[in-house]
Amino acid sequence: MSYDASARQERGTVAAHASDRTFWGRLASWAPYRALVQVATASPRRQFVILAVFPILWVLTQHLGPMLQMLRVSLTDAYPVAANVEQHFTFDNYVRFFGDSIFWMPFFRTLIFAAAFTFCTLVLTYPVAYFLARHVSPKNRMLLLLLLLIPFWVGEIVRTYAIMILLGNTGAVNMVLRWFGLIDRPIPFMYTSFSMGVGIVYLTALYMLLPLYSALEKLPKSLNEAAADLGAGAWTRFRRVTLPLTLEGISSGCTLVFLISTGFYATPVLLGGPSTTVFAETIAGFFHVAGDEWPTGAAFAVIMFLAALAITAGFQRLMSALRKGDTK
Amino acid sequence: MTRHNRILLSCFYWGFVAYVFVPLILMVTMGFKDSKFIGFPIKSWTLDWYASVFADSETISAFGYSVAIAVLSTLISVVVGTWIAVLLEGRKFWGRAAIFGMTVLPALIPGIISAIAFRIYARYLGIEPGMGAIVWSHAVHNVPFVVLVVMARLSTLPKSQIEAARDLGADPLIAFLRITFPYLVPAIMGASIFCLLLSFDDFVRSFFLGGYEPTLPVLIFAKLKSGMSPEINAIATVALILTAVIGVWAERFTRRMNKDS
Amino acid sequence: MANDPLVRLEGVTKRFGETTALDNLTLDIAQGEFVTFLGPSGCGKSTTLRILGGFEQPTAGRVLLRGEDVTRRPPEKRNVNMVFQDYALFPHMTVKQNIAFGLELKGMGKAEIARRQDEIMSFLELTAYGDRYPAQLSGGQRQRVALARALAPDPALLLLDEPLGALDAKLRGQVQQELKSIQRRTNKTFFFVTHDQEEALTMSDRIVVMNKGRVEQDGTPEELYFHPASRFVAEFIGETNLLTGELRGTEGDAVVMDWFGTTLRGHAPGGVPRAGAPITASVRLERLGFHAERPATANAVQGRVTGKTFLGSRMALDLTVEEAQGARLRAYVDADTGQSVGDAPVWIGWDQSSMAVLRD
Repeated sequence: MSYDASARQERGTVAAHASDRTFWGRLASWAPYRALVQVATASPRRQFVILAVFPILWVLTQHLGPMLQMLRVSLTDAYPVAANVEQHFTFDNYVRFFGDSIFWMPFFRTLIFAAAFTFCTLVLTYPVAYFLARHVSPKNRMLLLLLLLIPFWVGEIVRTYAIMILLGNTGAVNMVLRWFGLIDRPIPFMYTSFSMGVGIVYLTALYMLLPLYSALEKLPKSLNEAAADLGAGAWTRFRRVTLPLTLEGISSGCTLVFLISTGFYATPVLLGGPSTTVFAETIAGFFHVAGDEWPTGAAFAVIMFLAALAITAGFQRLMSALRKGDTK
Repeated sequence: MTRHNRILLSCFYWGFVAYVFVPLILMVTMGFKDSKFIGFPIKSWTLDWYASVFADSETISAFGYSVAIAVLSTLISVVVGTWIAVLLEGRKFWGRAAIFGMTVLPALIPGIISAIAFRIYARYLGIEPGMGAIVWSHAVHNVPFVVLVVMARLSTLPKSQIEAARDLGADPLIAFLRITFPYLVPAIMGASIFCLLLSFDDFVRSFFLGGYEPTLPVLIFAKLKSGMSPEINAIATVALILTAVIGVWAERFTRRMNKDS
Repeated sequence: MANDPLVRLEGVTKRFGETTALDNLTLDIAQGEFVTFLGPSGCGKSTTLRILGGFEQPTAGRVLLRGEDVTRRPPEKRNVNMVFQDYALFPHMTVKQNIAFGLELKGMGKAEIARRQDEIMSFLELTAYGDRYPAQLSGGQRQRVALARALAPDPALLLLDEPLGALDAKLRGQVQQELKSIQRRTNKTFFFVTHDQEEALTMSDRIVVMNKGRVEQDGTPEELYFHPASRFVAEFIGETNLLTGELRGTEGDAVVMDWFGTTLRGHAPGGVPRAGAPITASVRLERLGFHAERPATANAVQGRVTGKTFLGSRMALDLTVEEAQGARLRAYVDADTGQSVGDAPVWIGWDQSSMAVLRD
């Protein structure tokens, strides 16, 4: 292995000091390890296979597997399979969805709510991101951003509960309104789509804020100055320069928030009421109520996932079309 | 004009700060109310609710249960996520995009659907609802975050570092252990903390994959369904302080890491 | 074995997809040589280096080290070490630990490692910095650490990938001298890659000029400078006058060409070009002599000075040669000669050996 006569001599002295070697030296010259490495690195191809087998198996069985299994279960008539029962292939679970308004009403409500809450989140966080990226010195920027991040480390349930305390009949908002004499009887904010919206926006705002902030921060200030130089007013500058160039951030923020919003279960349960039942509650029902109806629940989950995917994919195409249109 | 905008926007910012902080502050405050009835105004104060929380074995054990789940699931996520990141970063091979897509999939699936899919798959794998199932679902769900953080760090490692190690006689494994891994440690630490918090805070997966023993969020949820009480505020406050402190520490840690590199 | 050169490249070709980075390179390197591969980026010099280091596998051809085929051997199994362009020092290890890295993996004992560390650190004047981290060192110190780390395992061949690129101009000159002297004292074979022709001329025993994956010329710095074989070499190294004319034929060693009606005699280090097509000859600026009378040199023309540029130690003269249809030449002269040349026509003379007729 060594081509140098002097190096070969050294290898002689090396053997004499074997016990004196460092950990890595011992490992590198330990025969079983060397044999192992020899086998494993015999070719770049083999090396790659050894590195790749576990991750590929993991993502196939653990990441994709659950989704595929859910799809499979959704197409059967019985799961978990009890003794003496035969499992059959069927589309009934999907057909069932369209048969009853008790199923598709919450479904459309969820999609509409999610879209509306996403829009609210966007409107609410855009100025915040804009302020941070444009009007704050880089030194303070991280500090002010960090300030906003702190509450988002707190869990979903705790934050939902905090909203309950804020909006309850004896909650802070009603108390303040009463103090100012604006009302004499508490406004029932809770268990409405309003309280749900406040809660969900509260939970998702960060996922909108961060993409918007990074899009705005990347935008060179000189662009705005150039536009101003050409005589564009503040509104025109925003509409013609800032907004088109942050469409990508808007697109990814909205996609993320929409997907997350459709998936909330505990928040609608705690903040919503009978008239605001969302699809997550419908799906969960099939897994909790006595008499397992897993295949139906699975089918409904598949419907919801596909709908959410279709909507976000459509939305992203729309946004990229808008982006392209603007550069023309 | 710009001045006006600036003032307007700064009002918006501080309004938003109020929106994210006030509910939490109110919730913490309510935990000190000397009455069983949740609501304002607060006339007298007490620490009794905290005393009862720390005396309550159910809460304490839920707390320990959540911590144990968080630690175990994080260990799995970090090992798997780092491995996937090392495979994906800076390598071109057939099917790479597909593997990357599958890698981030769990992070994009809406919560309830993810929980249902895990519930069904756990049954398929023969994992009983309980700690094992929760740990497994959290681990899978958190892998994408580890992969993204570690990949970002790995992409900044100059290729020459590994080449230099190989050049000096290190085989690929020793080069990884002595050069790549030490370089990744800050990212792995950051990702671990993130995973710990995600797992500790998770409700929907713990709820659908749990057995009889509740994790802390599941316990709070159950208590909330049977009525609000300042005791819940005390429990939530303890959880809040813990997560916020760890979160802030992690934030500082990752910022320091970014500065170093 | 004893007669084998240290390195032998046999028909080495490397393709990256459609592009050919290295085209059928055959070359020997002797023990103790300081060889520089010189060329613009993308000429194949770095690919050659990476193939020698084991970081790339040639598409075709063989690499022999002391007669042994190492073409398919990974870097860790070659007795070759490299100084990287960015030094690639391990940031989480001290200078000592960086140096020990290769020694440990050779399976050396701790005492032996310590001895070698001390030896190489005192040799490269790094003793005071042993416990510092790379981030705490200056550019020149880092460069020396990279050198120490690569030399410590006693490689048969040391590869240097533009290691001076990151240094500022002042330091670079000093380090060039240092590198050359280290190479002499260790009697190691250095394989140096650079795009900086001045650097190559200063340090090398031998320069291989590369262009588009092929060797343009292979020789000593003097050969390359005064006797360029091709237009590429003449232009890439130093400044030169390019004279375009027609080939008349050969007279013994001399190649005779017609330059706008004037007959010139040169030599052809790159081989005599084909007759008929226009040919180019190169004369270095400092090889032009000035005379009041027609000189006895092989070539003499009369010209007029049209411009003078003072360059400190010397002066550049712009000349017009009326007998060659007003062709322009440029010459370096010492400041005194420059001052004395007036507006009157002067004789310009140069030797046959000062003019290289180029291959293309």
